[in-house]
Amino acid sequence: MGEAIVITSGKGGVGKTTTSANIGTALALQGKHICLIDTDIGLRNLDVVMGLENRIIYDLVDAAEGRCRVQQALIKDKRFDCLHLLPAAQTKDKSALQPEQMKQVVEELKPDYDYIIIDCPAGIEQGYKNAVSGADQAVVVTTPDTSAVRDADRIIGLLEQEDLAAPKLIINRVRSHLSTQGDTLDVDDVVSTLAIDLLGMIVDDEEVLKAAHQGEPIAMNPNSRASIGYRNIARRILGESVPLMSIDEKKGFFARLKSMLGLRA
Amino acid sequence: MAYVSEVKQMKTGPSKNRVTIKGTKEGLTIIMDDQCSFEDLKEELREKIAKDKQVFGNGPEVEVTVDTGYRYIGEHQKEVLSGLLKDAESIRIKEFRSEVISREEAKRQREEEGLTPVTQIIRSGQVVSVRGDVLLLGDVNPGGAVEATGNVYILGTLKGTARAGVEGDLEAVVCASVMEPNQISISDVMFYAPDRYEKKQSGPLFGEPVFAYIATPEKEISFEKTRLLTQFQKQ
Ligand SMILES: Nc1ncnc2c1ncn2[C@@H]1O[C@H](COP(=O)(O)OP(=O)(O)O)[C@@H](O)[C@H]1O
Ligand SMILES: [Mg+2]
Repeated sequence: MGEAIVITSGKGGVGKTTTSANIGTALALQGKHICLIDTDIGLRNLDVVMGLENRIIYDLVDAAEGRCRVQQALIKDKRFDCLHLLPAAQTKDKSALQPEQMKQVVEELKPDYDYIIIDCPAGIEQGYKNAVSGADQAVVVTTPDTSAVRDADRIIGLLEQEDLAAPKLIINRVRSHLSTQGDTLDVDDVVSTLAIDLLGMIVDDEEVLKAAHQGEPIAMNPNSRASIGYRNIARRILGESVPLMSIDEKKGFFARLKSMLGLRA
Repeated sequence: MAYVSEVKQMKTGPSKNRVTIKGTKEGLTIIMDDQCSFEDLKEELREKIAKDKQVFGNGPEVEVTVDTGYRYIGEHQKEVLSGLLKDAESIRIKEFRSEVISREEAKRQREEEGLTPVTQIIRSGQVVSVRGDVLLLGDVNPGGAVEATGNVYILGTLKGTARAGVEGDLEAVVCASVMEPNQISISDVMFYAPDRYEKKQSGPLFGEPVFAYIATPEKEISFEKTRLLTQFQKQ
């Protein structure tokens, strides 16, 4: 029986879709059976990041409303047989789906997968409620800036009222102190404000953008620093204890990150 | 038998004195018997107002306290008594005093005087409201708020908003282990944190636990070390 993990943030553009695609890919790399669900109805793009946009026939709303079987709406990934995508509807809006329907779809998928990764739309309205309704666990993505952290805090408050395991945190687009000159928040400030477990950090890396453009998730690239971040997160989800950053990384930046986090390890 | 006749006599007898008037330093007190019926009280008060022109006439205005002893009087009964006393031109009711209050009022008073512990991180968009004092074991994050009719004590970091004395208590305080608020208000006096840019330049606002209070006569919110709170509250 699989576990459903919703990827949320409150604020848009912080990396929910990128995180969903890459955690899914990294888990598939470990041989796990994964289903990605895009719940951003009307603004779907998980299919684009995965490079699967040409293969869509049916979508989540079709499946929820019984126009097709859930299995018929699934798209098999190009790279992994064990990785599937249930795309969002592009022509409808968020009100086309109800939390009860979403729950039912997720329940139907659970027996066939190890993890179901649900990409949540921005905001705290209908779309958020739909995405959360099927989940067992939640991951909150933020970037190290004041407004993203504020929205993440709001979402954590809402998630704490749901019947879910305690949410976990991913800080995305972390940059070195040198390059930001203190223009972003410190990672440890973010962690101490939000006061939830840190699942991992992803560096700010333009390779991520390029990869998305090519429809090939960055997690496929073994040499990228962001990719290693996602792979580590996948291993932590599987229950391994992976130190926050491995030592054999480029020195300056990671050494600094490690020492920042070492304080609260 | 003798007993019965005595009771009868009390009921019909001429001297009642269910309403007595006493003068004190603070003005007059009208003391009302708490065993007779309310109807009897009304009747006797009406009589006294009509007859006793020395007290209830149109002399200089006096403030009176209406003391109903162990009789509970609700809003309606207060109105009735106030209505009767309107006929006495020199009388102005200062207050009603009674030895008994309703359960509801007792509950409110208990809350008002009590300290409510809350164990929570108050996150963006959340508001925790308490009657009386609140003891928060946790942080108030930016965009979150804690408020109390009394004092706010925070065993954690205040980064969001705290409101003390929300119904007008000017002596209420906001204490926090780490004081980095966006906003504090006590009664209707407001404090806004310095802009984020300035804050970054100067580091944390305070190096140790502090409390916020209304400084007089400026009527401005000031901060003082929490270990000096005892002096503030003695004043
Ligand atoms: N770690 C990163 N480094 C660089 N760019 C990133 C990173 N994560 C996300 N992005 C870029 O940020 C943009 C928004 O990401 P996306 O995943 O679509 O956010 P969301 O789904 O939260 O709206 C995309 O262009 C994406 O390529
Ligand atoms: Mg998205």
